[in-house]
Amino acid sequence: MSESLNYQFLVKTFFTALSGVPTALIITIVALLIALPLGFLLALTRINRISFLHRFAQVYVSFVRGTPVIVQIFIIYSSVPLVLTSIFKKFQIETNVYDINPIWYAFIVFSLNTTAILIEVFRSALSTVSKGQLEAAYSVGLTNVQAFRRIIIPQTLVVALPNICTATVNLIKATSLGYAMSLQEITLRAKVAANVGYNYVEAYIDIFLVYLILCSLVEFLFKLYEKRLRKYKAANA
Amino acid sequence: MEKYFDAKYIWESFPLLIPYIKVTFLVAGLSVLFGTLLGFILAVMKLGNSKIAQKIANGYTTALRCTPSIVLLFLVYYGIPKIAENFGLNLSDVDKIVFIVITFSLQFAAAMSEVIRSAYQSIDRGQFEAAVSVGLSNTQAYRRIIFPQAFVVSLPNFGNSLLELIKEGSLAYTIGLIDVMGKASLIIDGRFNAHAFETYLALSIIYWVISIVIEQFFLKLEKGFSKGKQVIKPT
Repeated sequence: MSESLNYQFLVKTFFTALSGVPTALIITIVALLIALPLGFLLALTRINRISFLHRFAQVYVSFVRGTPVIVQIFIIYSSVPLVLTSIFKKFQIETNVYDINPIWYAFIVFSLNTTAILIEVFRSALSTVSKGQLEAAYSVGLTNVQAFRRIIIPQTLVVALPNICTATVNLIKATSLGYAMSLQEITLRAKVAANVGYNYVEAYIDIFLVYLILCSLVEFLFKLYEKRLRKYKAANA
Repeated sequence: MEKYFDAKYIWESFPLLIPYIKVTFLVAGLSVLFGTLLGFILAVMKLGNSKIAQKIANGYTTALRCTPSIVLLFLVYYGIPKIAENFGLNLSDVDKIVFIVITFSLQFAAAMSEVIRSAYQSIDRGQFEAAVSVGLSNTQAYRRIIFPQAFVVSLPNFGNSLLELIKEGSLAYTIGLIDVMGKASLIIDGRFNAHAFETYLALSIIYWVISIVIEQFFLKLEKGFSKGKQVIKPT
């Protein structure tokens, strides 16, 4: 066991780890697609203090931010089958709950998790756009929807983008916990490959490299997009 | 068939879990201690004049920010003994907690280096010049004028990093540490995987309460320290 690194294995497993990237990305994209609009709407309820929803969003954000992601995963992973079994039993649907692809659980967990993070991101970003902007938009005859789509959202997005980038990177990192739901992503694939010859160090170096490349890429793309959006930035901000 | 959900198990779990909070805090406390020291060194490297030191410190922060804690944990847990073997050391008797503290210190250092750097840079250069001009030595100026101000600025970010650390620390159960998280999975094993949901609910409530307490504590602390702070109000 005292030999040095197994380089052949290191190279081979790198591609095994790489083959888990699509899964990680699909989860990230689905979670973002659900969380971005939902987070924005709930942030609006927080700002406008819509009585019930605003309270709900507050408690929700506090819970998600106060508990580890792994615990959230286990909560969803252990509660959803219970709910589904009782529903299936009621309507006598003959489906085995444990045949469900774990990726559906991952979608639920990471959407719920990211929504909470984005509520806070949008809330702070929205508060930087002054109320005068909305009033100006109304005064030139834009409707509510137009005002938001053309004036408020672009300005909010500029401010929120760095935080959305951080949230995305954290989301990609968090998908590494998908192995707890036996999800076939980067970490699990490399780990399974390592189980054969106990080449754990090599496997984890590979996973580390894959995440490093993936996250640097995401950060780079966000930087590009940030440059494009900069034209919406208020001059006297 | 048994009941699917039984709140009884939530209440039963609390007294079993609560004693293990101190393990969670022990890991967090040691990681904060070592992580802050390393983070301070990294921040000094980032602020210094040496281009190479800056590159190293920035590279370190980027790499650590891109690594999931679980990957770092396993890298340390399997990697360090393997490196030590090459030097003829056998680390198989070392307590797991050492590797866990190393992992989270490395991670906390990356966060802290940014916290310290941004706090230091938020202090106006004029403060230092003013201190030196009234005859304080460099060391005195830093100790009495710069550090206290930077400390207040860094408090909210420090609080956030600490919360992050306590949450990420829950992953230590994967290499067999028995903290609150590890104890929860033991309890679930003991119940033959039944009522996992109730146990995890109890666990999440414990984490939630810890987070709220820490958050409130830091808000209070911030309020207390910024009492004498004079902020120039934009007109």
